[in-house]
Amino acid sequence: MTTLQRRVIQVGALAVVALACYAEALYSSRTWSSVLVDIVPGSSFVLAGLIAWSLRPGNRVGLLMIGVGVGLLTVDVALQDRVSRVWQPAGVLLVFISPLWAVVLIHLLLAFPGGRLVSRLDRVVVRSFYAVVPLAALLAIVAGDPVLGKISQPAFDIEVPAAGPIYAACLVIGSALVIRRWFLGGRARRRSMSPVFWPMVPITILFLLATVAVLGRSITVLATVFPLFLVALPAGILIGLLRAGLDMSSVGDLVVKLSGGLAPEQLQPALAHALHDPSLEVAYWLPAQEFFADLEGLRIELPTADSERAVSILGDPGSPVAALVYDSSLVDEGQLVGTAAAAVHLALQNARLQVQLRAQLEEVRQSRARLVEAADIERQRVERDLHDGAQQQLVNLLLSLQVTKTEALRHSDPETASRVETNIADLKQALDELRELARGIHPTILTQAGLVPAIRSLTERCPIPVEVTGELGDVRLEAPLEAALYFVVSESITNAIKYSQGKRVCVSLGRRSGFAIVEVSDDGVGGADLSVGSGLRGLTDRVAAVGGRLVVKSGRAGGTTIRAEVPCG
Amino acid sequence: MRVIVADDSVLFREGLARVLEAAGFEVVGQASNTDELDRLVESENVSLVILDIRMPPTQTDEGLVAAKRIRRQHPEIGVLMLSQYVESHHAIDLLGQSPDGVGYLLKDRFADVGEFIDAVLRVGNGGSAVDPLVVSQLLGRKRSRDLIEDLTDRERSVLSLMAEGRSNDAIASALKISPKTLEAHIGTIYSKLGLEPAGADHRRVLAVLNYLRSS
Repeated sequence: MTTLQRRVIQVGALAVVALACYAEALYSSRTWSSVLVDIVPGSSFVLAGLIAWSLRPGNRVGLLMIGVGVGLLTVDVALQDRVSRVWQPAGVLLVFISPLWAVVLIHLLLAFPGGRLVSRLDRVVVRSFYAVVPLAALLAIVAGDPVLGKISQPAFDIEVPAAGPIYAACLVIGSALVIRRWFLGGRARRRSMSPVFWPMVPITILFLLATVAVLGRSITVLATVFPLFLVALPAGILIGLLRAGLDMSSVGDLVVKLSGGLAPEQLQPALAHALHDPSLEVAYWLPAQEFFADLEGLRIELPTADSERAVSILGDPGSPVAALVYDSSLVDEGQLVGTAAAAVHLALQNARLQVQLRAQLEEVRQSRARLVEAADIERQRVERDLHDGAQQQLVNLLLSLQVTKTEALRHSDPETASRVETNIADLKQALDELRELARGIHPTILTQAGLVPAIRSLTERCPIPVEVTGELGDVRLEAPLEAALYFVVSESITNAIKYSQGKRVCVSLGRRSGFAIVEVSDDGVGGADLSVGSGLRGLTDRVAAVGGRLVVKSGRAGGTTIRAEVPCG
Repeated sequence: MRVIVADDSVLFREGLARVLEAAGFEVVGQASNTDELDRLVESENVSLVILDIRMPPTQTDEGLVAAKRIRRQHPEIGVLMLSQYVESHHAIDLLGQSPDGVGYLLKDRFADVGEFIDAVLRVGNGGSAVDPLVVSQLLGRKRSRDLIEDLTDRERSVLSLMAEGRSNDAIASALKISPKTLEAHIGTIYSKLGLEPAGADHRRVLAVLNYLRSS
């Protein structure tokens, strides 16, 4: 639109206001107050529209407001009997065009605040209204008095057959669309729609009441109140636009926050706050996996074009940095989203790298956990093989030797019996040793009865006093956790016995805020070091593999405490 | 005495059955898993079930679970559980319900047939048998404040035999002392350890074991 065209529209709109005032002043036989009631709504739409248009030249909201205002004023002028009398075709023409203000109003309500009709349904309906409503006006002219002396206001025109129901239908459908947009939208959309939605509600109700005309005489009262509500609309729209200005300042706040350093976890809430859309999500592009993911590295599917969610891809489309997923009502605030996105671009890039790192770390963590679990399962398998294989065979052999011995005695062969007896003793010795070996590989009591009985069984075999305190609760931990904690305890006790010269060991168990905690402390010489020797190092790795941590406290002052904490849900 | 033997190794079952039959027991059934065992328990009128703690399908504690079930449903049937390992935890677990007719022995205990048959008989007759290894481990356990150390050697022998579930007569004859002397020893033990005198014979097993485990 050229500057000249803009000027023409601006001047023209002002001219209509002036003309309307002039016509009212010149021809109205009514009181000043009722003249004001007629003039003010239309004029306020025009003036507010002009302001809105200059604030946001690219946004059609201003033009639509001017359209509504001009339409309203035209109706006022056309209603003056004497205007028609002065220039009859003018009256007919004006009445033909003037009801369009209601359609423009519906268009405005649906297009606010972006100025565009977002949904296909809205576009189809508004277009058909533009076609149908003038037709209804034509019907009114043909069916009624061409001079239309009887039309009080187009919207209240119930004396004209056909036209009234068409107006009513348009209004009902239009309001339904606005309400639908309101309820389908999230908080962001409702917030942006609220300056027009709340004035719209009483307007619609009054409009419908008047059109259906169930109230008879009260119509005049309604007709007086109605324009007041109409004034609320341009005021609301202006407030809405001013608030958009405030929104820009919230992006400013975002920039200030960013300069103070925002952690990746804080980016999404900060953006959601700046854009007033709590549903806003930040999706980071992971080039290795070729999908968008959240901060935890979990995949996010971007919404399709038709959905109520809109997407802005940030960065080069070939290798994006991130995507913002938000309520589609924010599409109307394209500039706002763009500014906010530009502000956080660098921070998002930074966060994306962290997400990538986390995703890799998670992979490594899982593979480490799998390795340890596989090793545990292997230990259990070896123990089971020994139990069901070698141990069982030796026990069977023992039985058979026993039978042989009994038979030898029965056949009065004490020499054989005594040899077999020696074999039995040797075999028992071998079985005992094998049993201890298997227990060291994986104690069966750990799988049979759980961590606490296994630890107690361990302490019952210790050459120094071991005190066990605390509980781990009735519910057993998962097998990898039990195994990790068991080996922490067994290794720590072994170390205490071997190196600490301590007189006693204390094992304390506990479960606090989602962690199972095991602590082994001795009263020995201290000086244990994580960095020396593979024993403690191996324990640290084992505990870390199940997501826990191992802390060793061992000073020169004496005493060593080894504490393992594993998350247990 | 009618006995059922349950173990997933057929060689072991056969061998055990031969040892038992040689000692005059009547082995009326053999089971390779706990389902078979349950059926045999229902159909055969037996005094005793000897079973392994590890049984199919998971080879963990199916035997223990079956033993506890049999104890609950047929308190008149004695249950002797065998295992490659003995744990005081399982001993208490089994005896805890009611120590009458419960035994828990290391699988290779029959290396000493006399002792083994004695334990089997005890359990079959409603007494109890706790593996000497469990008892010696508990007795040998190091404690920070050890009242066990105040006991004389003789008293300690008496205590461990009590913990194994032996009757007074058996202890007296094993230690070659008179029943009267034994009574005196038992009285001293109870007072030294601060234990409440708890019934005769196997009734005291659980109290002694619990004491040894907890202190």
